[in-house]
Amino acid sequence: MKILYRLNSIRKCYGSSVVLDIDGLTIVDRRLYTLIGANGAGKSTLLNIMAFLSPPTAGEIFYAGKQVDWIHGSVEELRRMVTLLHQAPYLFEGTVHANVAFGLKARGIPGEERRRAVEKALAIVGLQGFGDRKARELSGGETQRVAMARALVLKPEVLLLDEPLANIDRETTGLLETVIASLPAQGTTVVMTTHNPDHPGRLNGESIFLEGGRVVTP
Amino acid sequence: MDFLLSSFAAALALIGSFSPDVVDAVGTSLSVSAGATVFAALFGIPLGLLVGLSDFPLKQMVITILNTLMAVPTVVVGLLVYGFLSRQGPLGVLGLLFTPTAIVIGGVLLAAPIVANYSLAAVRGADLRIMPTALTLGAGRFLAVGTLIGEIRFGILAAVIAGFGRVVSEVGVAMMLGGNIRGYTRTMTTAIALETSKGEFAFGMALGIVLMTIALLVNLFLSLLQRK
Repeated sequence: MKILYRLNSIRKCYGSSVVLDIDGLTIVDRRLYTLIGANGAGKSTLLNIMAFLSPPTAGEIFYAGKQVDWIHGSVEELRRMVTLLHQAPYLFEGTVHANVAFGLKARGIPGEERRRAVEKALAIVGLQGFGDRKARELSGGETQRVAMARALVLKPEVLLLDEPLANIDRETTGLLETVIASLPAQGTTVVMTTHNPDHPGRLNGESIFLEGGRVVTP
Repeated sequence: MDFLLSSFAAALALIGSFSPDVVDAVGTSLSVSAGATVFAALFGIPLGLLVGLSDFPLKQMVITILNTLMAVPTVVVGLLVYGFLSRQGPLGVLGLLFTPTAIVIGGVLLAAPIVANYSLAAVRGADLRIMPTALTLGAGRFLAVGTLIGEIRFGILAAVIAGFGRVVSEVGVAMMLGGNIRGYTRTMTTAIALETSKGEFAFGMALGIVLMTIALLVNLFLSLLQRK
């Protein structure tokens, strides 16, 4: 069992408002965690910190045993191990293929290998043959699936999902639940936020409850 | 009304006959405006992106200064550059006054604040998810900014076109720094001012038609790009 994240006394403030105040939190690899809390509980803020996109105002974060140095450390390297899928994902202008290939291109993966990986990722989310479609002309559910493929194709060590199953149809929900539930066995740790109390049971996940920016025991 | 119609007909004839004076003025206008726009874009786009993407003390003051610079009268810019380039000025030794280069320098000062402001507006109006999405997919800072530029490219292009529009249509800088020398620094706008004052209304109108056509073509080009 490998500890991926260790968060110590993490606080995030916007002006005088404290939106996150976590004494301690540990995330272990190859597991699925569901982050449950009401709107404004600090779920998205926590995911942004865990994705190394936004530093905490105070506190320490250790990733794979090493303390994250936001100023001098290379968070760019850490971002290549952790991918965040936003609640309302943004697809870049261009084709579905270009979107899914974006992260691979950033990592310098050669063209042919990239093409195969993109096709495989699109097949996982049930979008075979969508590569040449314009990303901006997709439906909401298709957009969500392309964004999921774009994250999966990178095979991240940690996949952070911000309400990935909100506002999508039942068919897409079922497909994405199956994909998400299969990830820990493939080596990807998943932390996903949700409002749905059924998700931890359905996805065989561990629950973390957030209330007013604090981790609480229900 | 007859005067206007007959002048319009004469203007069309001048354009159709490729009058050397018209062709010279159009060529000079386009070359100095294009030169000034290129340099204004080289300064203005990075400045707009920098101000838009970073937080620093006095940021609002910098934005206010950029806004103010957009409204500086062209003759004031002409006067300032004239002071530097005139024989007694600090750059007088370069002998640039009354050359196309002098007009380009003045044009850069006119267009750069516009390009910077429009670029800044494009960045501020960009979807807030672009940069975090690029970063979380493993893009470095440069690639993330490059991706943002790609997503707001029409805003940036509009900034450049607005800068070009400012330079090609101004008269103060071209008159003061170029000197309106026939076949050398005479631009469309300075030629219109001069020829009209001499009573050559049809000639002025011919250049006015060309100027309007250029503005129309540039905007059509922008619309076409946006539709792609």
